[in-house]
Amino acid sequence: MGKEEQPVRMSLQTLRVLEAFLENPTDELAGADVQKRGGLASGTLYPILLRLESAGWFVSRWEAVDPSSVGRPRRRLYRLTATGLRRASEIFATFGRGVLV
Amino acid sequence: MTPRDEAQGGARPGLARSGGLSHWLVRHAARRSPAALAQRLEEEWLADLAAQADAPSRLRFALGCCWAMRIIARDYLASAARASDHATEHGAIVLGQHGPSSYFQRTTILFLILCLHVFVIYGFVTGLAQKVIQAIPGPMRTTILDQPRAREMPPPPITSFLPTPPRIFSLVAPTAQFPPDALKDSFIPQPLPQPGGSALPPTRSTQVIRIVGGPGRGFPDPDDYYPLDSRRLGETGVATVRVCVDDTGRLASAPMIAHSSGSARLDVAALKLAMAGSGHYRSTTEDGKPVSYCYPYRIRFQLKQ
Repeated sequence: MGKEEQPVRMSLQTLRVLEAFLENPTDELAGADVQKRGGLASGTLYPILLRLESAGWFVSRWEAVDPSSVGRPRRRLYRLTATGLRRASEIFATFGRGVLV
Repeated sequence: MTPRDEAQGGARPGLARSGGLSHWLVRHAARRSPAALAQRLEEEWLADLAAQADAPSRLRFALGCCWAMRIIARDYLASAARASDHATEHGAIVLGQHGPSSYFQRTTILFLILCLHVFVIYGFVTGLAQKVIQAIPGPMRTTILDQPRAREMPPPPITSFLPTPPRIFSLVAPTAQFPPDALKDSFIPQPLPQPGGSALPPTRSTQVIRIVGGPGRGFPDPDDYYPLDSRRLGETGVATVRVCVDDTGRLASAPMIAHSSGSARLDVAALKLAMAGSGHYRSTTEDGKPVSYCYPYRIRFQLKQ
């Protein structure tokens, strides 16, 4: 992507977010999905998502649905980038957990 | 259709379902986020709000968004210093832009810190801190001072100045009691001796019985006239006052100090007491009839034990 990696402050909450994505790294998850998987509060979750996206670990896009037809607003979907996947795998390997990619 | 329109359009169903408070909180939090993220966060949060199961969850989610807004704003300001070319599709995160207000705030804070340092250094250099410390009253201290010793003055030999023994007021008893007996002056004219050696027997003797008056009933309490300064300094003494009292017990003239007590304060107090007692003197009587008469009496100022 031609983007420099930015340092990410790793906390337990950040690890939970990464863990939620690493269950199936190709999945695109909305904030509400990550909240349910990781058991995080919204006040903690969204700053982490934005930090990881700003660091290039995540990319995000709007859900391709028509709000009027589905009866709800569009969701913002996040997905791990290759960099994010590699860095998350390294971190969890450091903690002694294997990650299947 | 802009993202805001889309967000508002898409938020209406959620609004209808979840009530106003949670939506208001989410919208409020999103709109107070950094401008570059406000639209995106509003739509994203409203969508995730709609995914919450029940009203308490939605309220918790909305309150969390308010907290997230503060953290995101802080992170945004922190990362604004770093240049970034990261751009995504709609709702791209734009970092690395300094607003003029940011420069103004930083400059103001820096200036205030600089002024504070200058003030502190100025205070130390000029001794301002020492003045402030001196201006602050210290703890109250009580020092026991030695009482000045009363001047040991021998009582004046009053008797040598007075032809008759005067009466004495004493402050030892606040209700001054005066001796009820009055001095009785009596004189008996002696018959002149006749030339030739024979003396005629006295055909008639003239005898005037004089009872000298003095302070009577209702006379002021001498203790009330003992000067406070004299009490504090331990001054004691006996002042002899000469008064002229008419037949009604009133002063016929101003009293005078016949013999000083040794202290001007006590002498003045004695005169005041004598003046205040006008109308309360016992008149001098001659053969039982009140007459005007001048006589001295003594006032003793003595500290109680």
